[in-house]
Amino acid sequence: MRMTRPVLTAIATATAGALLVGCGGGSGGGDGGAGADGDGGQLFVTLANHPWTNVVQDKIADFESETGIDVEVTVLGEDQLSDQYNVKLNAGATDVDVMMMRPLQEAKLFSSNGWLLPLDDLLADGGDDWNWDDFQMQTSVTTEEGVVAVPIVTEQEVLYYRTDLLDAAGLEVPGTLEELQQAAATIQQQNEGVYGFVARGQRAALVTQFSSYLYAQGGDWDDGEGTATIDTPEARAAYEYYASMLKDYGPPGVTNMSWKEASAIFQQGQAAFYTDASVFYNNMIDPEQSRIGDTFGVAQMPAGPEGSAPYSIPSWGLAVNQASQNVDNAWRFIQWVTSPEMTKEIQVEGVAGARTSVWEDPEGTSAFPEQLAEVIRTSMEDGVDHDRPVVVEVGRARDIVGGPVIAYLDGQDLDAALADAQEQYQALLDDER
Amino acid sequence: MADTTVRQGSRAGGAGPLAGLSAWANRNVKWVFTAPALVFTVVMISLPVVYTVVLSFTDARGSIQRDFSFVGIDNYVEMLSTFDRFWPAVWRTVLFTGVAVTVQLVLGLAIALLLRKPFKGQGFVRVVILLPLVATPVAVAMMWLLIFEPTIGFANEFLGWFNLPAQGWISDPDQALPTLIFVDIWQWTPMVTLILLAGLSTLPEEPEEAARVDGANAWQRLVHITIPMLLPAIVAAVLIRSIDALKTFDLLYATKGRGGGSLNEAETLNILAYSLSFEYNDYGMASAVLVVFFVIIVAACLALWQIQKAGRRT
Amino acid sequence: MTTPQVQDEAKALTRQRPTPRRSSRRRRATAWRWTGILVVAATFLFPLFWMLLSSFKTSLDITDPSAMFGFEPTARNYERVLQEQNFGRFIGNSLIVGLVSTGLSLVLAVPAAYAMSRYRMHRSSGMLLLARVIPGVSLLVPWYFLFSRMGTVGTFLPLFVSHMFVTLPLITWILLSFFDGVPVELEEAGRVDGLTNIGVFWRIALPLAVPGIATASILAFVFSWNNFMFALVLSGEATRTLPVAIFNFIAYSSIDWGGLMAASVVITLPVIVIALLTQRYIVSGLTAGATKG
Repeated sequence: MRMTRPVLTAIATATAGALLVGCGGGSGGGDGGAGADGDGGQLFVTLANHPWTNVVQDKIADFESETGIDVEVTVLGEDQLSDQYNVKLNAGATDVDVMMMRPLQEAKLFSSNGWLLPLDDLLADGGDDWNWDDFQMQTSVTTEEGVVAVPIVTEQEVLYYRTDLLDAAGLEVPGTLEELQQAAATIQQQNEGVYGFVARGQRAALVTQFSSYLYAQGGDWDDGEGTATIDTPEARAAYEYYASMLKDYGPPGVTNMSWKEASAIFQQGQAAFYTDASVFYNNMIDPEQSRIGDTFGVAQMPAGPEGSAPYSIPSWGLAVNQASQNVDNAWRFIQWVTSPEMTKEIQVEGVAGARTSVWEDPEGTSAFPEQLAEVIRTSMEDGVDHDRPVVVEVGRARDIVGGPVIAYLDGQDLDAALADAQEQYQALLDDER
Repeated sequence: MADTTVRQGSRAGGAGPLAGLSAWANRNVKWVFTAPALVFTVVMISLPVVYTVVLSFTDARGSIQRDFSFVGIDNYVEMLSTFDRFWPAVWRTVLFTGVAVTVQLVLGLAIALLLRKPFKGQGFVRVVILLPLVATPVAVAMMWLLIFEPTIGFANEFLGWFNLPAQGWISDPDQALPTLIFVDIWQWTPMVTLILLAGLSTLPEEPEEAARVDGANAWQRLVHITIPMLLPAIVAAVLIRSIDALKTFDLLYATKGRGGGSLNEAETLNILAYSLSFEYNDYGMASAVLVVFFVIIVAACLALWQIQKAGRRT
Repeated sequence: MTTPQVQDEAKALTRQRPTPRRSSRRRRATAWRWTGILVVAATFLFPLFWMLLSSFKTSLDITDPSAMFGFEPTARNYERVLQEQNFGRFIGNSLIVGLVSTGLSLVLAVPAAYAMSRYRMHRSSGMLLLARVIPGVSLLVPWYFLFSRMGTVGTFLPLFVSHMFVTLPLITWILLSFFDGVPVELEEAGRVDGLTNIGVFWRIALPLAVPGIATASILAFVFSWNNFMFALVLSGEATRTLPVAIFNFIAYSSIDWGGLMAASVVITLPVIVIALLTQRYIVSGLTAGATKG
């Protein structure tokens, strides 16, 4: 027996009927229509708690007075945002119009659920000033349904290093994985209480930051055509390298570390090297958060046998809820907030955007120190367009492909763990075909 | 609605047109008093229960608005046989709850007895023991996470003052669950204390006084007089606390992240159900776990009930 | 078979008529008791003391254990909490939701607990407890669906109702145990004096239950105050409560530890005030009240 869409409605009606409880006449409109006082109608915008949002929030009043649209903004943390989408969109919510979301984590899932409005027609009519072709990383926001999000924030993985420790050891900034390993070993040996290396070690959290190591060794999660490649020699080398770096030169308790713990340790001056997203740069120069503001540098990811291959991805995008009753307003908002002018204004505050024209404009990179701007530019050129498996069930896939690192750190056999991960990931890929 | 009836009825004795109504309410006081609460609960609970049970027999994935099929008891079979995260999660749930609630009961009773008689500054102390309850669980979890961080946390610094070796605490797969049980005990013992303190305040003093005159020592009076009289409050405290402990979420999620840690070392049934529904979007399996979880909690409640009954008879 | 220590504690626990011979032992008992009370208070206080200290530190000093006491205090965290984030309105929302849901729950739960205790309605009381048993994950989607169909998401109504779902079983169960402990004889006497069933409840049982009601209310309020899951999906921007707002300090790529700790301190203050106001009702009880009268 197949059940179709309104199953929740059916269950609800049946239950409510059985209880003789009328639920407000089932107006069905949700709260989408009610309460709009501006003449331009209403718009529900859900945003993540992110530096991008901080800049935008101050300017929303301009948008409101310009258009007469009444914008209600909800700001939530990353996980809470994700939970809320899962609950609300499952229940067919209409009080979400514009959604800030993580394209690589959620685009495929949400879009295959029919939650995201394909934007292709709107993009085509975007106009010359707005110009969709100016946006980078379009593949990352495109699913089988079409383009489902406009990229707003971009990230690359970079290598953070301590200039003082390198100088004291008489070492150059490592350009290859081998040099990184040697430098970490040397510095750890020379400095009591300093760990050679820190990075994420939590099963799901590590996947994105491990990805650049995987690509540098010439590996990937799968071949793009439905065959898992976790047990290839390239992938094996990457897993062994990353896990042994954490084991030999990392701080204790690394399997519990996401960026929260790892970045705090680097900012306290207790680690020589740290690889993570470029977005953490701003925290490291902030004297309220960091002890090493004057003594750290940033470099492109070290090269492996296949060169340096950091991920370069849109970490956040704006999408429109398929069930939205304010599509026109939603699109107006997205056009406004991703316009070349706004993108530049936001980027000047230190939030890396996705517009080529802004990156080419010297003013656009004025907020970034020359070193960081250069690293981002070259990383964009060498970059890989995904930092995690490109599947529908990203959550499950991350747990699978992060497993071998944990197994190695836990002292288990790496080859067995790789074979296991290969099998499970292959099953997941087969399932999704 | 019914509750207005209660209020009018409770000013009984007043004559007039309400007399008939109040007489009726008095005759049926049993249901007049309980019906509003029961109806409210049944209304609120029935849709979620039906929804969860129905989904547990389907292969719903991704979104519950997508097409799905009924798969009978497949989810249950898979969960109980091949799904390798289920049984360890059951065990951790039972362990976490059993240890935490037992310690909370013992400590909570001891502290309640300690604070029972009035003393100078009792208002202050009673507010102090309320504090761990008040600080939002998420904030508390974050605070302990930082205190127990092996490299930059205070806990290891503290051990260092006594030349004790540094520990892994929450980040160590073997120590995570015990450490989190400790945090749970810290946070929830006050609730047990408060409930027992309220219970103690109703106890008449005569039986204890009489036993004292008969020469019973403090321990005997505690075991034979105070605890039996306090039993309803103890059962209420243990019941409520056990249910909440079985369902512990904020603490585990905020400190161990998805899946209860990299090796699932702190994954309880509630965390598992959450991961399945919100991270894997596997609603069928998640609902099956929830149904079994629900049954386990109900069974635990019934068991406690039997203990209470047995306790009453003796 | 009595050890001196147990005896001493016994003296501390039971009211003694002081006699000259016993006074030195009494003093020792008091000393023991005070030590116990101080240890308990310190244990519960320390982490919160740590939180309070941290709320005056920069994020950098919070993540540095050697700066436990040696740091330069800053008020910046509180500025962020109270001015930039404007926590006042979240406190207001949480107060409204907590007080209303606790109040409504009391109206439903107090009579229910009384009747369930007196008429031994085990199945009904078990039914209420089910509300507490059901895991939050299975409530969210159906409830959101219902409330959004009613067009009430973003108003206070779904928050009142969902938080009542949390507080009602709690209050019922604490009071159930309470009424179980109240001797029936007093009520019998009331009936002899001509009180109706409802009259007995209103004039006799209810006054006796004040300490229980106070305790249950405080705990219920605290649970409502701390509830996160329901507020996350059912509150709107205008009705957002504190536990959701506290996540404003945990952003993508940075945690404002100082702000988080300051917000946590601010959150506890209103509850402390309420606890101070109600705690004298918790203390009073049969010992001070009706039976002695």
